[in-house]
Amino acid sequence: MKVASGLRWAWPLVLLLLGTGAPAAEEYSFDSSEFEKKPFEIGGWAQLKQENFSLNQSGALYKLNNYGQPQRQDLGRTAGTLELIGKIRQGIGTFDFHTHSDMQRDQLSHDYDNVMYEAAYSIRPSANVTVEAGKRVLNWGKGNTWNPIAFVSRPKNPDDPLLAREGYVMVNGDFIASPGGDLQTIAFTPVLVPVGGDVNSDFGLTGHLNPAAKLYLLYRDTDIDFAWQGKGSRPARFGMDFAKNLTSNFEIHGEWARIQQFTRPVADSSGSVTNQVGNATSYLLGLRYLTESDTTYIAEYYRNGTGYSDDQLQQFYQLVNNAFALPQPTAGPLLQKALALGKGNYVSPNPGQDYLYFRAQQKDAFGIVYFQPSIFATMNLQDRSYQITPEVMYTGINNLELRARLYLLHGGAGTDFGEKANSRKVEVYARYYF
Amino acid sequence: MKNILWLVLCLIALPASAAAIDGTQILQKVDRNLEPESYESYRKLIDIQPDATKKEYVLYTMKKGRDKIVAMFVSPPSEKGRVTLRLGDNMWLYIPDVGRAIRVTSLQSVTGSVFNNADILRIDYTAEYNVDSAEEQKDAFLLSLKAKTGDVAYDRLKMWVDKQALLPVTIECYAASGMLLKTLHFKDIKDFGGGIKRPATLETDSPLYKGYKSVMLWSGLKKATFKDEIFTLNYLPRVQELRK
Repeated sequence: MKVASGLRWAWPLVLLLLGTGAPAAEEYSFDSSEFEKKPFEIGGWAQLKQENFSLNQSGALYKLNNYGQPQRQDLGRTAGTLELIGKIRQGIGTFDFHTHSDMQRDQLSHDYDNVMYEAAYSIRPSANVTVEAGKRVLNWGKGNTWNPIAFVSRPKNPDDPLLAREGYVMVNGDFIASPGGDLQTIAFTPVLVPVGGDVNSDFGLTGHLNPAAKLYLLYRDTDIDFAWQGKGSRPARFGMDFAKNLTSNFEIHGEWARIQQFTRPVADSSGSVTNQVGNATSYLLGLRYLTESDTTYIAEYYRNGTGYSDDQLQQFYQLVNNAFALPQPTAGPLLQKALALGKGNYVSPNPGQDYLYFRAQQKDAFGIVYFQPSIFATMNLQDRSYQITPEVMYTGINNLELRARLYLLHGGAGTDFGEKANSRKVEVYARYYF
Repeated sequence: MKNILWLVLCLIALPASAAAIDGTQILQKVDRNLEPESYESYRKLIDIQPDATKKEYVLYTMKKGRDKIVAMFVSPPSEKGRVTLRLGDNMWLYIPDVGRAIRVTSLQSVTGSVFNNADILRIDYTAEYNVDSAEEQKDAFLLSLKAKTGDVAYDRLKMWVDKQALLPVTIECYAASGMLLKTLHFKDIKDFGGGIKRPATLETDSPLYKGYKSVMLWSGLKKATFKDEIFTLNYLPRVQELRK
């Protein structure tokens, strides 16, 4: 059994070998009629992923995540994911959907999940007007890893910012005009997000119809957005972003957002929790640079106005460590407090206030077309803890994407990445598109 | 005496010959003979690797005016729904899973193939290049083109234009350093209807990708009119609804 489990990482290689059959000789031919629009379309992808975690038993987040579970030094998880993406068209209307289903199993548990990421009906009476209703992902902002102005969407996974996410149920419109001259484009996107019962229950307080809007301008070759969300289920917020190419291979972007009267629970190591209320300002500055040799560099600085300072994070980690150090009967109230706080912002992927993200990726490395090694790192600038992740990806086989990553986390006790649940993670996946 | 007469004849003939070759006019005709100013078309991109393995992409393209173009991948499934937009020197890539457009550059390749974004989102040559010199050869005109700005993917082009059809036969693409980046070979002249008769096949090779070859095939190329609003970031998620 141990041998079988040890070789689990090898199955993507088997898929790779299966996919590299000798091609048949073929003349060039192309008839576009087979690619014309159809009234019903469906596609998607299926993925097999193997993850091996080296667990950080002294980490506060390990203690919170594994409370009541057998203690382990490592964990192997196998996950299968299926996403279906489809469209049904009739006249000026289109219904589209995006489903997500996954099953995962590790030594401690097995689980499955089915989520409707998107399901919306849209009508387009003309090229400049679209109105839609349903579950939709509206990704606002220009940042690669973080988006402070993404007011009506769930946060990105900073380790995988290109991953699809679940949307919110909403009604939204899109009105576009191209005046010409310096103002090349102007577009207005009003949105209504209801919260009630089971609808958008994680958006905020129930019983509100939350208005939001975004105004986009392409002015003198610069993308500019102004975004706003009214007070309702969440505090009111507003912000803006921009993106511009300084040269054809050098892009800069930025975002700025302010949340008014944001409430944030702050705990000290003794378990005392106070709710701090105030305006929270977040911003981001980033760049993307492509060299002549096809190396892309992405760098971003992120100021998280809703995050915790290194001292506040230390206090929280100390609280968790104190709660778990006490004998069970005495620990009760402190432990419950730690577990409750462990469901909030303290355990979000980036709970700190200042982060630096850096990524370098090389296209067609070593002369191999479709082979892309890259490395990315995220650092909490206040406590200097960081995560560094080398990655290799190969997409040379039709419809197959193979990726391997190694996450290495560094940081001392009481630091952001030093208190995470794992100290290392190896991840390998094969994704087949159909 | 004979030599003097020959020299006089040459001096008389030289300005007449130079006046006969107007490189800019030839380039303008090449632009219009290749595609109408506003059109829609399907294109297939085939990447052929050294071991003869192929990877194919199909794009639906819409172009308006000299510098507005949108290309959407309709195949393979791994790329389906990705849309690239070019407005002059600005280029964006919309990825459905990401749900928003990110700025990309002309030298990048959205497919990872030998074709880069500038090849896929090519606008009129006259919009990007000035004619430095034009030379008449046996069956072709040789145009030397220089990019108007540093934002253009290839700093210089050498374009051999068929004298009769006024269509490109071969184009060599050079970096500012003078390095040859790739060579484009136009083949298989086909009548697409509506007065459009042009090469249906473009083969590319590059000294930077030894052993690799890329081919672009055209189908369904026809004149079309589009609203300006289609060439905007907000419209990119809905571009696929415009196909017939």
